[in-house]
Amino acid sequence: MATPIIMPKFGQMTEESAIVEWCKKEGDKVAKGDILFTVETDKSVMDVESFEEGMLLKIAVPPGVTVPVQSVVGFLGQPGEAVPAVPVARTPVAPKKTEAAPSTSAPKPVASAPSPIPASAPAVAPAPVATAPGRLKISPRARALAKEAVIDPARIAGTGPSGRIVEKDVEAFLEANRYDQLRISPAAKQLAAAEGLDILMIQGSGDTGRIGVDDVKRALAERPRPMSKMRQIIAQRLTQSVLTAPHFFVTVEVDMTDLVNYRAELKAKGAPYTVTDFISQAVVLTLREFPDVNSSTDGRNIRWNSHLHLGVAVSLEQGLVVPVIRNAEELTLAELNGRAKDLADRARAGKLAPAEMTGSTFTISNMGMLDVENFTAIINPGESAILAVSTTRPKPVVRDDQIVIRSIMKMTLSSDHRLVDGAMAARFVNAVKQKLEDMELWKRLTS
Amino acid sequence: METFDVVVVGAGPGGYPAAIRAAQLGASVAIVEKEQLGGTCLNWGCIPTKTLIAGADAFARIKHAEIFGITVKGAVMDYAALIERKDKVVGQMRAGIGSLLAGNGVKTFTGAAGFVDRNTLAVNNIRVGAKKIILATGSTSAMPGFLPKHERVVESRRFLEMTKLPDTMIVVGGGFIGCELACMAAMLGVKVTIVELLEDILLLLDPDVRREVRSHMEKELAIRVLTGKAMENIAADSTGVRGTVGGETLTAELLLSAVGRRPVTDGLQLENAGLKTSERGLIETDDYCRTKVANIFAVGDVTGKIQLAHYATAQGLAAAENAVNTKPRKHDVLVPNVIFTAPEIGTVGLSEEDAGKQDRAVKTGRFRFAGLGKGLATGETTGFVKWIADAATDQLIGAAAVGPHATELIAEATAAIRAELTVAGLGRTIHAHPTFSESWMEAAHAVHGESIHAPPKKRR
Repeated sequence: MATPIIMPKFGQMTEESAIVEWCKKEGDKVAKGDILFTVETDKSVMDVESFEEGMLLKIAVPPGVTVPVQSVVGFLGQPGEAVPAVPVARTPVAPKKTEAAPSTSAPKPVASAPSPIPASAPAVAPAPVATAPGRLKISPRARALAKEAVIDPARIAGTGPSGRIVEKDVEAFLEANRYDQLRISPAAKQLAAAEGLDILMIQGSGDTGRIGVDDVKRALAERPRPMSKMRQIIAQRLTQSVLTAPHFFVTVEVDMTDLVNYRAELKAKGAPYTVTDFISQAVVLTLREFPDVNSSTDGRNIRWNSHLHLGVAVSLEQGLVVPVIRNAEELTLAELNGRAKDLADRARAGKLAPAEMTGSTFTISNMGMLDVENFTAIINPGESAILAVSTTRPKPVVRDDQIVIRSIMKMTLSSDHRLVDGAMAARFVNAVKQKLEDMELWKRLTS
Repeated sequence: METFDVVVVGAGPGGYPAAIRAAQLGASVAIVEKEQLGGTCLNWGCIPTKTLIAGADAFARIKHAEIFGITVKGAVMDYAALIERKDKVVGQMRAGIGSLLAGNGVKTFTGAAGFVDRNTLAVNNIRVGAKKIILATGSTSAMPGFLPKHERVVESRRFLEMTKLPDTMIVVGGGFIGCELACMAAMLGVKVTIVELLEDILLLLDPDVRREVRSHMEKELAIRVLTGKAMENIAADSTGVRGTVGGETLTAELLLSAVGRRPVTDGLQLENAGLKTSERGLIETDDYCRTKVANIFAVGDVTGKIQLAHYATAQGLAAAENAVNTKPRKHDVLVPNVIFTAPEIGTVGLSEEDAGKQDRAVKTGRFRFAGLGKGLATGETTGFVKWIADAATDQLIGAAAVGPHATELIAEATAAIRAELTVAGLGRTIHAHPTFSESWMEAAHAVHGESIHAPPKKRR
């Protein structure tokens, strides 16, 4: 009997996941510990290893399709073994978003029908997509005519019994849309038909407005496609934050000249500290003085967090992850450095466990390496503030009534006004600034 | 100082059509040419070589006339007379261009142009003002440094002026210029050796097309083709030219260098207009023929895109329209390539090899002229035509023809690909019988495994 391969559950909150890529093909030999496929969860991309050995007999869930965790995604066994025709999900989840997933009882969920666009996409301009012929009431002759014309019958008003679209409705629609005036190259029409586009919705750019293959390809490139799981999560969380937490922003300039020089000195001696480490340490020290800035609210109650879990945003190709340094208040500068490096390395390799990306109480977003003057960040939901750190650059500044060149870094604190008032935010960022400019402090901490 | 709406620099196949089109659109136009109207194409390229090849071809037909029952004795090629005819053809066309320019009110300046500033050119110390300038200065044969300077070592332009062919000739460079002249000379009895550094001659073509041409050149024209090796220790004196290729010593009366062409920008003083050439010496342009200086356009070989006369013309027309009109227009980029070897070659669009490199799924269909009634009737059965089509959409995306009239046949394929026809549509298009062009229809049928005049791959 073939062994089902199960979509694992990553973390407590994960209800569904999508396979990014199968690393084995059907018929491939699989050894214990081989990576079978990679999965996109709310937080990151994870490798899934095989617990058994044998042959990958069947791939039941193709890449890009979201399925509930614990679903069967394929079968492993000996060559020639029978595969159950109907994959069964062990814990069927309420069909909340199952339109994006193949029905688990479907015999062949492999047909990769383009997933419908999530309903929450009103900002996306209408595209020439022919909708899947779901429950559209249409006669076979009308459907055949629409198909031959390469148009989307869902746009046609039916005049048959209970609004059914009949052949003459399609004919009238084609005439009303001046279909006979439409110019399209044979190859363009073929491509549009194969991709399920509506050619009446495609703008032609050829001589006399003729639709060419390039025009169809442009329409295809513009066709709305589902956001990756990661982007959906980012979209949802950040929108929630902006809509619920009234943000305000306070910016200060930090003179980093001495610290940058000191860091270079330390580096020459082999110490591994990064500028981010110093900023993290300064934030940790400052947060001890400002418990309001290390708090959360639901709008009625305030919770002061006793621990400081510091999130440090890391930019990845697929999006942003925020690995969390737990109990940062207990760590020395050297320990902070070690933890930050380990987390960032594993974040880039996609090897962070979900628990390592949740639960932060304050976040630093550092765009220092991206050559920016200044920026503002959006507060992570559940936190009271976020510090946006920009690039350190040489600038003319006034010191003792003289213009001198110093290395200046701007940082901007975004605060949730429900928890933090303007004066407190100003005192907070200035306290961080003072620490960064206090060489005695750093000499003490690194000696 | 006389000032024009448009001044074109270079009167080759890129420049003179640009001047005429700009004049048609109502602009005041001048054209500057430092040598002869018609440029390389007319004077030292396409037209003279095709005149000579036509002569060689006629000679070859006479020698093979016995298949039609014609006996010809004592046919002799008077090469000097052929050269005289070539000069006459060139002279006639050159005069034609002169009268076309004059008829369109284009003023011609003879001399080398150099920029004074971005709106002023100097020609023989005369200043010419220009609102818009179109650079069409072309290219010239590159003479590599390893070749000795000697009258027995020539490039294509000098070769076309010679009134006597050598008995033996080495051609360095197996590109289309080298191969065309090698075939022409071999058809007139010269013993020719081609030396090509890369692994094959005519390397831009698909392997099956190359194989067809190379085997004909080697077997029928007795041309020696040495590939994958450089020619070294080249020396020339009054007795001949010598050199070694992979240990073997080659000798010949003449060495023809055909190793490529370089863009001409000498003396233009581009820096006075704020223009710079690329590392390869090219003037870079976009699909509208615009350079990085707003009022200056460039077309043809000097832009280094595809060095073909008809592409230069297409660019020239677009550049003229963009210089005069307000709505910019891109030039087409689907360029047929024709090579007048024996047999002839025509290609257009994507090659099978390019498609493979792009990981594009394609299907192909071929039809050999040996299966064609017209081919058998005229005794021209070498070669084939081939379609390359997108496997998913059936769209025609490339074509190659090698064999009789291939350079003419490629026109149908070009129009079909530009119109984005499908294989099925081309296969249903009625082609006149008996003609060579029928082969396109047959090859389209072959793409779908529906050939009428070729045996099925599997016997039913």
